Amino acid sequence: MNSIELNAVTKDYKLGKVVVPALKGVHMQVSSGEFTVIAGPSGSGKTTLLNLIGCMDTPTKGVVKVAGQETGKLKETELTDLRLHKIGFIFQSFNLISVLDVFDNVEFPLLLMKSLSKQERRERVLNYVEKVGLSGHLKHRPNELSGGQRQRVAIARALVTKPEIILADEPTANLDSKTGQTIIDLMKEINKTDQTTFLFSTHDHQIMEQARRVIRLQDGTVVS
Amino acid sequence: MLQFLRIAARNLITHQTRTLLIGGAVVAVTVILVFLLSFTAGIQNTILRNSTALASGHVNVAGFYKLSQTSSAPLVSGYKPILDLVKKNVPEAALFYTRIKGFGKVISDSHSVSLPMWGIDLKNEKDVIGHLQLAKKSTYIENYKTKEGESEVEGNLQDIEKPGNMAFFATHAKKLKVRVGDTVTISVPTTRNIYNTKDVRIAAVLADMGMMSSFTTFMNEHDMRELYQTPDDTTGQIMIMLKNPNDMPAVEERLRKVLTQAGHALMDKEEQPYWMKFDRVSGESWVGQRIDVTTWKDETAYTKWVMSLLGALTFVFTAVLLTIVVLGMVNTLWMAIRERTSEIGTLRAIGLQRRQVLIMFMLEALLLSVGSIVVGIGVGTLIVSLISAAHISVESEAFQMFVMSNVLEFKIDTGNLILTFSLVCFFLVLGSLFPSYRASKMKPVSAINHVN
Ligand SMILES: Nc1ncnc2c1ncn2[C@@H]1O[C@H](COP(=O)(O)OP(=O)(O)O)[C@@H](O)[C@H]1O
Ligand SMILES: [Mg+2]
Repeated sequence: MNSIELNAVTKDYKLGKVVVPALKGVHMQVSSGEFTVIAGPSGSGKTTLLNLIGCMDTPTKGVVKVAGQETGKLKETELTDLRLHKIGFIFQSFNLISVLDVFDNVEFPLLLMKSLSKQERRERVLNYVEKVGLSGHLKHRPNELSGGQRQRVAIARALVTKPEIILADEPTANLDSKTGQTIIDLMKEINKTDQTTFLFSTHDHQIMEQARRVIRLQDGTVVS
Repeated sequence: MLQFLRIAARNLITHQTRTLLIGGAVVAVTVILVFLLSFTAGIQNTILRNSTALASGHVNVAGFYKLSQTSSAPLVSGYKPILDLVKKNVPEAALFYTRIKGFGKVISDSHSVSLPMWGIDLKNEKDVIGHLQLAKKSTYIENYKTKEGESEVEGNLQDIEKPGNMAFFATHAKKLKVRVGDTVTISVPTTRNIYNTKDVRIAAVLADMGMMSSFTTFMNEHDMRELYQTPDDTTGQIMIMLKNPNDMPAVEERLRKVLTQAGHALMDKEEQPYWMKFDRVSGESWVGQRIDVTTWKDETAYTKWVMSLLGALTFVFTAVLLTIVVLGMVNTLWMAIRERTSEIGTLRAIGLQRRQVLIMFMLEALLLSVGSIVVGIGVGTLIVSLISAAHISVESEAFQMFVMSNVLEFKIDTGNLILTFSLVCFFLVLGSLFPSYRASKMKPVSAINHVN
């Protein structure tokens, strides 16, 4: 089954009168449980592609299907709901809520879902915080954590809603290579144990080599 | 929602300086509003108290008697059945009493002043004027110094129960250069344009109560009847004190109806004290008796400018101050939103709806507003209570005219506090709507990549 399906997707940015074509007719499919890397140099369209898949934006032309839904046909609130329930995000600069501690940051999406009891939420959060190895830091705020630890919190936050797809835009770009490697290892491990679909971008060759599948982007088109 | 509140509170704490700055401004504005409204309410209260002590019941049944087309006398002839009728129809009353009205000259050895006069039966209205205070001798006797062991005051208001005694206020005593025990001559014009006179003793000099006291003298009722040759079945006006002054409009309306039904001719309602009605009544062609139902508000209508002025002042102040704090709030919130743009983007990516972004920032503004207003009301109430308790006396005569009293009086009114709270809160929340809405409309993709 395909988690993600893109058909002849183009995305143009308008800068005043200039039209910047960021994606020029992208076809791709990602099946459930895959661990896929989107590789390509800076400016090749990786972020744009992930934003479209992540329902943060809709294509100029073509069809983007995520978790069985065609995003171009959804309203803003429906796109937001889709993000909440089906997609987990890991960002390059971690993007945690600075005034909340580790526990509260991870719990936040569950509060938005409104489907779990307090006790269920607690168990779920503790479970994922343990998975990313931060059980000892529950009460720490983001500025009391190292970069690698922050990215682990972000991973726990992305996983906690049990989404179908985890999207990560250059998750290791702000980390040293050793820490970056542990983060990739963690993602791989979770992919294996939970069967979560992982799709992440990078321009780091060392990381590309470890992926089972690599989609290469260049100038807004898939080259292999 | 609870988590939103927590985020809001923590963000406010994190940006302490900013929070304290705008919070402090809101506190200051709230304090000023509490002060202004208490001041206004205090003056209103003073006017009510003074006017009911000196010049009016809550409701009065007064009127004019015209012997000829061009005359006008402030009398109610045949008042006894009217009093019975009034008593029967005003169960809300705490007290009924009558006074004779007059206007004449008080003449001392060296000076004279023209003054409105009340002929009263003190026994009937101990509760009304019994509490009036005697003036300190030093306030009306030139170069007077209280000697060791000597009382600061002299005389006794009680004495005007006996004919041949009168009382008035320090301002008059000073002008006439008289003191308790001195005799003055009262001279009044009667209906036949003859001046009747009578010598009376000054039984008491009362402490000034602002503007209204300069229009008031208390005579013994018998002396007034003698001076004006008023028949027994005639009085100046029937005065009604209500248990609850708020019943005033209902009582006024009922009395108008009842008196009309009983066959009395009523004068049209005019918001004026009786002594401003003479000219108009003299110019009208009717003769005989007409009844005039008035309230303390009518009888003190000449003080309306004070309330209007204060009202206008409060309005202008409120408008200006509110504009300032609302702009401050908009600016503060806008800064917070700019700083947290990337966070807003993140939250939107995670699954926060636009509506929820709006709520989040509104909540932050609301929290800041409510907190500051509550502090402001607390501080304002405290300041006003302290000033009030200090009994600060008003020395300037012009200012006395304005506040109607010789001490600064404030009234802290729960209604006013609620009004202040609602008003400030409403406008702050209204102001925060705009930046919050802008925040909620931001595109998540561009917001998330925003760098400060
Ligand atoms: N918001 C935007 N407005 C205009 N042009 C953009 C915007 N975002 C990206 N682009 C352009 O689209 C192209 C692809 O960008 P991006 O998807 O960010 O690439 P990558 O993530 O691979 O570096 C680039 O040429 C970039 O300049
Ligand atoms: Mg990028």
